Amino acid sequence: MAESKPTPQSTFTGPVIVDPITRIEGHLRIMVEVENGKIKDAWSSSQLFRGLEIILKGRDPRDAQHFTQRACGVCTYVHALASTRCVDNAVKVNIPANARLMRNLVMAAQYLHDHIVHFYHLHALDWVDVTNALKADPQKAAKLAANIAPARPENSAESLKAVQDRLKAFVDTGQLGIFTNAYFLGGHPAYYLPPEVDLIATAHYLEALHLQVKAARGMAVFGGKNPHTQFTVVGGCTNYEGMTPDRIAEFTSLWKETKKFVDEVYIPDLLAVAGFYKDWGGIGGCTNFLTFGEFPGDVSNTEKYMDSCYFPAGVMMNRDLKKVDKVDLKEITEHVKYSWYKGDEAHHPYEGVTEPQYTKLDDKQRYSWMKAPRYKGKAMEVGPLARVLIAYAKGHKETKALVDTVLKKLSIPATALFSTLGRTAARGIETAIIAEKMDAWIKEYAANIKKGDTNLAAKWDMPAVGEGVGLVDAPRGALSHWIKIKDKKIDNFQLVVPSTWNLGPRCAAGAVSPVEEALIGSPIADPKRPVEILRTVHAFDPCIACGVHVIEPNSNEVLKFRIR
Amino acid sequence: MTHDAPKILVLGVGNILFTDEGVGVRAVEALTRDYRFSDNVTLMDGGTLGMRLMDPIMQCQRLIVIDAVLGGDEPGSVYLLTGDDLRKSLAFKNSMHQSDLVDTLICCGLAGNRPDAVVVGVEPYDYQTMAVDISPQMTEKMPVILEVALEEIKKAGGDYDPASPGGDGA
Repeated sequence: MAESKPTPQSTFTGPVIVDPITRIEGHLRIMVEVENGKIKDAWSSSQLFRGLEIILKGRDPRDAQHFTQRACGVCTYVHALASTRCVDNAVKVNIPANARLMRNLVMAAQYLHDHIVHFYHLHALDWVDVTNALKADPQKAAKLAANIAPARPENSAESLKAVQDRLKAFVDTGQLGIFTNAYFLGGHPAYYLPPEVDLIATAHYLEALHLQVKAARGMAVFGGKNPHTQFTVVGGCTNYEGMTPDRIAEFTSLWKETKKFVDEVYIPDLLAVAGFYKDWGGIGGCTNFLTFGEFPGDVSNTEKYMDSCYFPAGVMMNRDLKKVDKVDLKEITEHVKYSWYKGDEAHHPYEGVTEPQYTKLDDKQRYSWMKAPRYKGKAMEVGPLARVLIAYAKGHKETKALVDTVLKKLSIPATALFSTLGRTAARGIETAIIAEKMDAWIKEYAANIKKGDTNLAAKWDMPAVGEGVGLVDAPRGALSHWIKIKDKKIDNFQLVVPSTWNLGPRCAAGAVSPVEEALIGSPIADPKRPVEILRTVHAFDPCIACGVHVIEPNSNEVLKFRIR
Repeated sequence: MTHDAPKILVLGVGNILFTDEGVGVRAVEALTRDYRFSDNVTLMDGGTLGMRLMDPIMQCQRLIVIDAVLGGDEPGSVYLLTGDDLRKSLAFKNSMHQSDLVDTLICCGLAGNRPDAVVVGVEPYDYQTMAVDISPQMTEKMPVILEVALEEIKKAGGDYDPASPGGDGA
């Protein structure tokens, strides 16, 4: 592996603002103060789910999932599942094994799809200079590919040359499409892959476009034809078709193809790219980590749920790899002191209130539509890195083995995991682990049906009064829906989503959020093209698919560029 | 349906939580409820799924999108964007939800199958209030939107009949 280079840094001092303009997945605006080429302070400002609880209040609890899954552009299933689980929990129904397995399998398929798309289509352009791939020697690239990955026809010199030709035609016509306004255009000092690695990654970017279609189809096999989730129901699932041998065979075949791509393409690419960016193992780290666990083996109550998850639930404070605590849901509060809501009291989600009070855009006292979730008062990173660190620290066999392999291949210490590089690596690591584990889950599901258990939904009664929590550790991180039922209707409904944990504002104590912490200390090589901000922000996989504006410090010049 | 009838996908996109942002989805729901279509026509609620829609898009030959578009004209205006207009149109870039259909179409092209697309765009009255119903003014406009969409379905090679009153509407 290549030696890491010194990280390029400018001597710029002043503010830099990166401001996306999306309206649906929340308006994420990152403001930083740069001092002598390093980020000194950061503010993450965004809006999400404003008033969703107002729409939900008074409705039938069973209907919550149909609204919450629309809150977020592409996270439909995780919200549908969290809403379903919170009502499951409130009505105290224990769902049948088939339903648990079907929900887990669709969630696993979603992980595979989301993480592949994230790595190649949302994050790769922060590291890979597509135009530099034109300078590559396809023969050399093929040799390199053969060194890092199993032999495959797509990695031959001929195939890579064909990709290069296609790319050249693309660039020659000026039809840059998705690459328009990318930071690497015209060269950028913070990009330092050799042209051959850029070519391999670009070829796989295109290949992944095809593959992700199939990975998404995997979700639809059990999820029903409609791209929106309609198969979950309080008490279980409704898609009986998903128990037929044909559907199971179809799911298995799509899983196998996706797994092959993960093992033979994604992981080798991740290692190859990471090998040149080892300096990023020291940039962008956070301190505390939280996961609710995912892929439960027993969902009869919240305690058993968290204890039985394949990826274990847990809390890690102060980067202590030797100590993981149990999650105590009572310790979660949402702060609003720095948010565009009335008051400054922190509340547990069951007692959550949502009373908007907008001030102004550049207010640093109140600057976000997100609340600031905290655990025991601390900002917690959620998502792939939290899951992998906690599984690793708890000695989870498959995670321990793969993390150690990755650390060894990159020759970096475990402490380098607390970084932007670690966050991006963790996403790949868990993808490979889930892809491997799915074999056993599919077999368990098929065997259960074969022995005659065709139960997919349990009966239950709506209580007049009740409360429940639905936990999901979504690909993006810890998600929870909290419901209070009164007169069999929704009395209060709160969502605490991964992006608010990671990308929220300061809390009542004035302490920064994970993304703000991660940005502070980051070098900036070119304040007009602050790719370093994108690297760290994208590594959290914020739930935004959007165009972004950069406003230059001393003028009103607005440079448009794409975030993906 | 003849063998060479093109596969048509009618995709309503937008976010149903923000009033008229959901007009595309609501239009597709109305079409599904009120009409029966020939076998080569598929209607789909695309929400804001972006790249998740590549599979159905790549499986069709003709794509008809119904969407809220900020074109600058008075609310309720209906736009029709095709071919180069669609590629160049700044108006469509202003589609409010950023599932970014243009990007999704570019990705379909890169992956090898970008169908001919037309967008039936509607200027919204209200796209900021969080509400699951479209505005009353937009409800009044709905017949016009459906008429334009039905014309496009016909032009693309699809056929339809009104669903029988009280019928199953399947």
